[in-house]
Amino acid sequence: MKLLGYIRLWLACARYSVMRTMMFRFDTLMWALVELFWMSVNILTIEVIYSHTDSIAGWNEYEMLLLVGTAMIMQRLFMGFFWSNLFELGRNVRTGHFDFFLAQPGNPLFMVSTRKLDIDGLANVFVAASVVVFAAHKLDLHPGFLDIALYVVLLAIGLVIHYSTMVLVVSLTFWIVKTEGLEGTYFTMYEFSRLPRQAFKGVNNFVFVYALPVVIVSNAPARTLLHGPQPDLMLWLFGAAAAWFSLAVFVFNRGLRRYASASS
Amino acid sequence: MSAFSKYRHAFLVGLQSNLVYRWNFAIRAAFSLFHLVVIFVLWGAAFQGKTQIGSFDLGQTMTYFIMILMLQFFIGAFSEDYQISEEIRNGLINQFLLKPINYFLYRISIFCAARLVSGLLALIPLALILPLLSHHLTLPWDPWRLALGLPAMAMSALIQFTIAYCFGLLTFWFLEIQSFIILSFAIETLLGGQVFPLDLMPSWLFEISKYLPYYYQMYFPVSIFTGRLNDPMQALAGLGIQAFWVVVLLGCANLLWKRGLRRHTAVGG
Repeated sequence: MKLLGYIRLWLACARYSVMRTMMFRFDTLMWALVELFWMSVNILTIEVIYSHTDSIAGWNEYEMLLLVGTAMIMQRLFMGFFWSNLFELGRNVRTGHFDFFLAQPGNPLFMVSTRKLDIDGLANVFVAASVVVFAAHKLDLHPGFLDIALYVVLLAIGLVIHYSTMVLVVSLTFWIVKTEGLEGTYFTMYEFSRLPRQAFKGVNNFVFVYALPVVIVSNAPARTLLHGPQPDLMLWLFGAAAAWFSLAVFVFNRGLRRYASASS
Repeated sequence: MSAFSKYRHAFLVGLQSNLVYRWNFAIRAAFSLFHLVVIFVLWGAAFQGKTQIGSFDLGQTMTYFIMILMLQFFIGAFSEDYQISEEIRNGLINQFLLKPINYFLYRISIFCAARLVSGLLALIPLALILPLLSHHLTLPWDPWRLALGLPAMAMSALIQFTIAYCFGLLTFWFLEIQSFIILSFAIETLLGGQVFPLDLMPSWLFEISKYLPYYYQMYFPVSIFTGRLNDPMQALAGLGIQAFWVVVLLGCANLLWKRGLRRHTAVGG
C-alpha cells in the first residue's frame, strides 16, 4: 500500500471515531473532565510548591509551568492518537483477536496503532496548550513564527518517543502473556517528563535523563521555547526518537514472529 | 453458622486469592518505587538552598511520602470498585441476594484480607531499601501517636473502602463507571494529601479540607504518625470528625444498595 492509501485509511478511521464520539457524548464529556482534572492536579502541585520556594533546580514558577504544559500537550496527543489502540493491542494478543489485524492488507503496526482516535484526549491538547501560552505570556516571551514551528516539530518528535516506548511495553505481551497492568508503565515513566532535567543527580540522572528518553522528551521543546533553538538538545531528541522508534519496530516485528494466535 | 464465622471464611478465601495475584502486586510495588523517585527528585530540588518548607525539613517531607506509600498498601482501596462493578454487571451478585449474607460485610472481609496480604508484602521491598532511606526518615515516637493513629488508620481504611463500594454500586445506574472512578480517584489523591502534604496549601484551604472526608482517608493518620499533627487534643477532635464521615458514608452505601437493588433485574434460570 502506498502512502496515499495509508492516509486515506487513517482518515476513514478518524471519521469513524468522530461518529462514535457523537454517539457517546456523555462518556466523552466524562473522560474529558477526568483528564482536565488530572491536569489541574499537576498544576496545583506546582502552585503549592512555588508558594514555598522560588526555584526548582533553577526553574522559576512560570518556566516550570511551561515545562509541565509541554509535557501535558505531548501526553494528551499520545492519549488521543495512540493510547487506546496500543492498550488494546496487549489485550488482543492475549485473547487472540490480534489475528484480525494480521489479516488486514497493510503494515500490522500501522493497522493496530491507528484504528481509533480519542477526541476527548485531543480536546484537552488545547487546554494544555493554553497553559503553555499563559506561562509564555507571564514570562514575557515573544517567540517568532520559526520558534513556534520548531517547538511544534519537537513536540511531534517527542510524540514519536512516547509512541515507541509504549509499543515496546505492549510488545512484551508477545513473550509474557500475563502483562495486565503493565500498561501503567507509561504513566509512571512519563511522570518524569514533568520534571526539569537539572533536578536529576547521580544514578537518577543516568537512568532517567540519559538511558531513558523520559526527561529529554519534554525538556528539549520547553528549553527551545524558553531560550531559543538549542542544537545539542534538538540533536539529542532526534537521535533518541530514531533509536527508540527503530528498537520498537524491531521488537514488535520479533514479537510478531512469536505470535501463535489463541483461537482453537 | 454464626455471623462471624461466615465472614471469617470470606476473609480466608480472600487471603488465598490475593496470594495468587503476586504478579499484580509486584507491578504495583515497582510503580510505587518509581513514583517515590519522582517525589525525591522534585522535592529534593525544591529544598535546594532551603532547610525548611512549611516548617518541615527534607527528611520529614520524605518520611511523609514514604509513610503514605506504605499505608496505601495497608488501607488503600484500589480495585474494589471495579470488582464490585464487575460482580453487579455479570450477575454474580445475584447469589448474595438469595443467601443470608450481607454483601457489604462480605466485600469488606475480602478487602481486609487483600490489604493484609499487600501490606505485609510491601514490607519486604521496604525492608530492602530501608538502609538507603534511613538517613531521610525521622519518625516521632510518642505513645499517643500509636494510640490515636491506629484507630485513625482503621477508620481511614473504612472510609476508603466505603467510597469505593459506593462507586461500585453506581453500576446499578450506569453501564460504564470507569470515568467516575478515575475522576473521584483524582479528587481523593489530591485532597487526601497524596500529591503534596495538605498543610502546604494556603491555610484557609487547609482548614476547609479538614471538614472533608478525603482528609481522613489518608492525610490524617499519616500526619499523626509523621509529626505533622502534634497536638493530641486536635487528633482526638479529628477522630470525632472522622467517625462522623464513616457514619455518613455507611449511610450512603446502605441507601445506594437499597435503591440500586430496586433497579436491578436478575436474569437466568
